[in-house]
Amino acid sequence: MSATSPSILQALSPSDTEDVAQRRALLAEIDASCRGTLMLFFGTALVWLMIGTVFALITSWKMHSPDFLADIPWLTFGRVRPAHLNAVVFGFASEAAIAVTLWLICRLCRAPLMHGWVVNIAGVFWNIGVAIGIGGILAGHGTAIEWLEIPGYATPLLFVSYALIAIWGIITFRFRREKHLYVSQWYLLAALFWFPWLYSAAQILLIMEPVRGVVQATVNWWFAHNVLGLWFTPIGIGAIYYFIPKVLGVPVYKYSLSVVGFWSLALFYNWNGMHHLVGGPLPAWLITVSIVASVMMTIPVVTVGLNHHFTMWGSFHKLKDSPVLRFMVFGGMSYTVTSLHGVLLALRSVSEVTHFTHSTIAHAHQGMYAFFTMVMFGAIYYIVPRIIQIEWPSARLIRIHFWASAIGIMLYIVPLTIGGTLQGVAMINPDVPFLDPNKYSVVTMTVPYLKVRSVSGFIVLVGHLAFATSFIWIVARWIKAARQHQPAPIVSNV
Amino acid sequence: MNYGPIIFLGVFLTIASSWIGLVLIPQVQFGRQQEVKIEETGEIYPTVRPGLAQQGMEIYKANGCIYCHSQQVRPEGYGADIARNWGQRRTVSRDYLHDNPVMLGTMRTGPDLSNIGVRQTSVLWHLQHLYNPQITSKGSIMPPFRFLFEKRKAGDKPSPDALALPKEFAPEPGSEIVPKPEARALVQYLLSLKANAPLPEAR
Amino acid sequence: MSVVWILFVSSVIVLPTVALLALRWAVRHGEFKNLQKTALSIFDEEEPVGRMTDRFPGGQRSKSSQP
Repeated sequence: MSATSPSILQALSPSDTEDVAQRRALLAEIDASCRGTLMLFFGTALVWLMIGTVFALITSWKMHSPDFLADIPWLTFGRVRPAHLNAVVFGFASEAAIAVTLWLICRLCRAPLMHGWVVNIAGVFWNIGVAIGIGGILAGHGTAIEWLEIPGYATPLLFVSYALIAIWGIITFRFRREKHLYVSQWYLLAALFWFPWLYSAAQILLIMEPVRGVVQATVNWWFAHNVLGLWFTPIGIGAIYYFIPKVLGVPVYKYSLSVVGFWSLALFYNWNGMHHLVGGPLPAWLITVSIVASVMMTIPVVTVGLNHHFTMWGSFHKLKDSPVLRFMVFGGMSYTVTSLHGVLLALRSVSEVTHFTHSTIAHAHQGMYAFFTMVMFGAIYYIVPRIIQIEWPSARLIRIHFWASAIGIMLYIVPLTIGGTLQGVAMINPDVPFLDPNKYSVVTMTVPYLKVRSVSGFIVLVGHLAFATSFIWIVARWIKAARQHQPAPIVSNV
Repeated sequence: MNYGPIIFLGVFLTIASSWIGLVLIPQVQFGRQQEVKIEETGEIYPTVRPGLAQQGMEIYKANGCIYCHSQQVRPEGYGADIARNWGQRRTVSRDYLHDNPVMLGTMRTGPDLSNIGVRQTSVLWHLQHLYNPQITSKGSIMPPFRFLFEKRKAGDKPSPDALALPKEFAPEPGSEIVPKPEARALVQYLLSLKANAPLPEAR
Repeated sequence: MSVVWILFVSSVIVLPTVALLALRWAVRHGEFKNLQKTALSIFDEEEPVGRMTDRFPGGQRSKSSQP
């Protein structure tokens, strides 16, 4: 089914006797073909990460000091918060995800990225789309639909760029020279297919031709939960499935488990989401279906967890040597914890307490940061030196990045989960006043936890600054090296 | 599992199933829901908001009020929404028929607003609260929305639009605070939030 | 009610049937056989099983990150 000629397939099949030098040339050729495109995506993703972090700090500070920057309309809490979300989700996380996906597809298909300039153009337009979108949110054009705040005039740009990127990923897949389809590829291809479906359906039914009444809420949460479950999660899991075995040099613990994990995720995850509407004005069957699907999510979570952690079993001392492994293992463990926690949160009795509280926010950051973002950091640390053929300049900066991000996010999640749960306990007890400056009340009891969150934000910022310094430094070396000697032309045999 | 098309087929089927289940079926169930005539009062419910309140909804939307305020009342026995007087009854799908977007919300950093138009009926209260929440709700962590007001030089006597403020929040003598049209529209929207019609399905 | 029927038929009958047929096809064509072999497909002579491919910079250099 591959479109490559049989001679190439034969030449690269495992039974051939080709010498190692030629294989190395192929690996280098694949990495080199991604160079410009990936550096564009990683570079702009980093810019969005920094912008998103600044928005996050402003948002967090406003929650306990409401007078902070209160007189600037475009920096009011209700605009900075969605600006933060969209900067990190559609700016940073999606761009990093796209770049990592393209590189993994090329590597796993053993095929170079052809005509990368098309993806570059798509990348530029994606960035313009996100910039217009966030500008629009700050200007007061946000849609007030969670996870879809970007105003309708910017989203077509995002969709077209995305479609181009996904098509390119699938074309690269069609030209593959490796007959085996590794588990990461299932996840990545699925994500490339799921996201445009989710995004276009949500855009059409909520913003272009809005459906009436509460159906909007079901479409909203079908999208918002699935953008995590069917876009970021598969890319994160797929990346871990590649990087942990690859870095360790150890094959996946039980490959057959990965089949179970993949199909159970595909089957159950997309039915989640309605549990965000527990107790709301919707028929009970809808919410029950989602709760059941949430509970079923234990199957993919446990199988994937077993595979990731048992591959790692006995190799924990290697964490000392490898920065990539540290980020990946932290991400993998966070995935297990956050997903099992998510199953609990979906239960009706737990949700009665935690719904509408900061505990949900903590959970979202556990998934998006402690799991997904950490995995993306690890992948960037692995990929960049290989595509530009230059080592990271400083081990110390990487260590600072890892520890600041890890400690910072734990200091975010743990206190806010506890604080949010206590907030929920207070909220369902009508004897506790909602707001009373002199007594234990729902609003005032959260303030200490919100202050701890702001502190954790600064620690995470330190990590991001270390990361940005590393990245700018390595790019500077790359430019210098390119100026000093023209690189030898790479022989292409495609 | 090395055959691409079979994976694509599986991936297509799974998302198609939830698209049908969670998007299409709710649309079939609720898409053609209509207003009803309330037996007790003989009024049609829900009604479309008047123009000014509708403009206020845009202000509510633009400034992200949804990120701290929900607009849904959970049923008796599930949470303390009714005990906290956030509503006389649970909210049902019909309450949201004319809302676009439907701003159910997922956070209660502040109280639920489904019935704020029933709880707080005073325009002055709302304007003061928006100008600086500490005036009406000491200890609140809601941001002040002073940018919805303007400070003007006061004439010899205060103009009729000027906002009455307690002494410690009042501007320096010789100037006065006047709500912009946005603030007035937003208050009209808040006053229009009433999900208290006795619907048969909400009992 | 015809829309509901179309939905019912498509979701409860057509989708699972297609899924089951695809599953049968996949099993018959050995899609679930020799799975562990694919786990090795990410390794080759250049980066074989048993060799770590990532190190902190400045320490002992990993082979593939050398220029």
